[in-house]
Amino acid sequence: MTQRDRAAGIARWGGVVTGLGLLGLAWVYVRALVYTPVEATQGAAQKIFYVHVPAAWAALLAVSVTGILSIFYLWLKDRRIDLAAAASAEVGVAFGLVMLTTGPIWGKPIWGTWWTWDARLTSTLFLFLLFVGYLVLRGVLTDPGIRARFSSVIGILGLILVPFIHLTVYLFRTLHPAPIVLKPSAPSLPNAMLVTLLTSVAAFSVLYLGFLMQRYALALLRELREEALASAQ
Amino acid sequence: MRALLRAAWHIAVKDVAIEWRTKTAFASGLVFAVLVLAVLFFSRDPTAVASSDIAPGALWVTFTFAAMLGLNRAFLLERELHGLDGILLTPVPRAAIFWGKFGANLVFVGAIEAISLPLFVVFYDVPIWMRFGELVLVIAMATVAFVAVGTLLSAMAVRTRYAELMLPLLLLPFLVPPLVGGVQLTARLLEGRPLSDLSGWLKLIAAFDLAFVSLSALLFQVVIEE
Amino acid sequence: MPSNAGFMIAAYVIVAIVVLGYALSLALRIRRETKR
Repeated sequence: MTQRDRAAGIARWGGVVTGLGLLGLAWVYVRALVYTPVEATQGAAQKIFYVHVPAAWAALLAVSVTGILSIFYLWLKDRRIDLAAAASAEVGVAFGLVMLTTGPIWGKPIWGTWWTWDARLTSTLFLFLLFVGYLVLRGVLTDPGIRARFSSVIGILGLILVPFIHLTVYLFRTLHPAPIVLKPSAPSLPNAMLVTLLTSVAAFSVLYLGFLMQRYALALLRELREEALASAQ
Repeated sequence: MRALLRAAWHIAVKDVAIEWRTKTAFASGLVFAVLVLAVLFFSRDPTAVASSDIAPGALWVTFTFAAMLGLNRAFLLERELHGLDGILLTPVPRAAIFWGKFGANLVFVGAIEAISLPLFVVFYDVPIWMRFGELVLVIAMATVAFVAVGTLLSAMAVRTRYAELMLPLLLLPFLVPPLVGGVQLTARLLEGRPLSDLSGWLKLIAAFDLAFVSLSALLFQVVIEE
Repeated sequence: MPSNAGFMIAAYVIVAIVVLGYALSLALRIRRETKR
């Protein structure tokens, strides 16, 4: 079995996992929209919670994986680790986009404002920008060794940045508490809502895994083809 | 250790000397400072917003531009003179290159800040003399943060064709904690709050400096290795 | 209860578009790569 066959295999299995994730998401849609009760004070818009929060979780997972894999790359110098880190970054940008679009759409009816500079939204915004930068940087660097090294540097910097942005917003908030009319995330959710949320988190996690496998396989296939071309010359 | 410091010093002096000869980015830094301070002053409704309300923000936007200009200058130099290749051929300890560049960038950004500050006092009529020492400390701490990460990122950006675009794009997220901290601290200091009240922000910027200066120095070597 | 179902629908539609769009983009890119 050649390396190319192995990569194609990962792509296929990734497709299966993604398919399962999509089915799971469809089930979440049905459950959230039809079977979960509407929250009395916030209305239907509260249900955005069931897609917004899991997307945030998936985005955070994705960038943490990129950061950790970046450290491993600098240690082990295996280019496949770099490809996996980059795959996770791209998937993270996709989920980050979901979070940054659903956030304001949820915020407007619930908090009365499109954007609140709270810790989670602010961190996600800047992390999103950083990882867009990460992908742009990869796009303009042609040498694979340099690309891998530089990407790892950004990945590690990003990992360390997250707690600082959180702290910044926290400090700002404790000294300037924002007038929040309704606080949407309830620590004690009624059972039906909790189950929907957890189902959604599971679906998004499966989607993350599927996307990661597919994106990694794609990168591997491309790299193998490039190597084959280079050695043929 | 002494060899490291000496090498870093020479690299820093070389960079500053080259810039001093032309002073181009220095001049544009000055023009930017005046522009930013003026625009922000005129952008408000004078009957509703006191100049002292927007003053801290105006000052820090100016400093951020200064930092960007300073860092841009650093790699224009590298590009034109292929300076880094030359240094890498010598037996200079790699760590010295970071500290040298970091030092030169600090001098450059610091110089623009030193000129912007009196302009700021004059245009906004801000009484900084009572808190001058503390203000300088805050400015220094935040500047160290931007310049450390900026030095690392510009070493990467210079290897791409779009250096002037890549640097701000990559640097932006790292500016948030020191910038917000700097503005908050400046505002509180000018209001007359004692330093002890501001320990939260001070600790944040100090921790950021510690983490990112060491991380930048470490990762710089990864970036310039061949 | 406030009537803000419009926001809910907009959000759910956007999520579907982004997720399906990305899944499609991956599938197409992989197909292009394996066809060669």
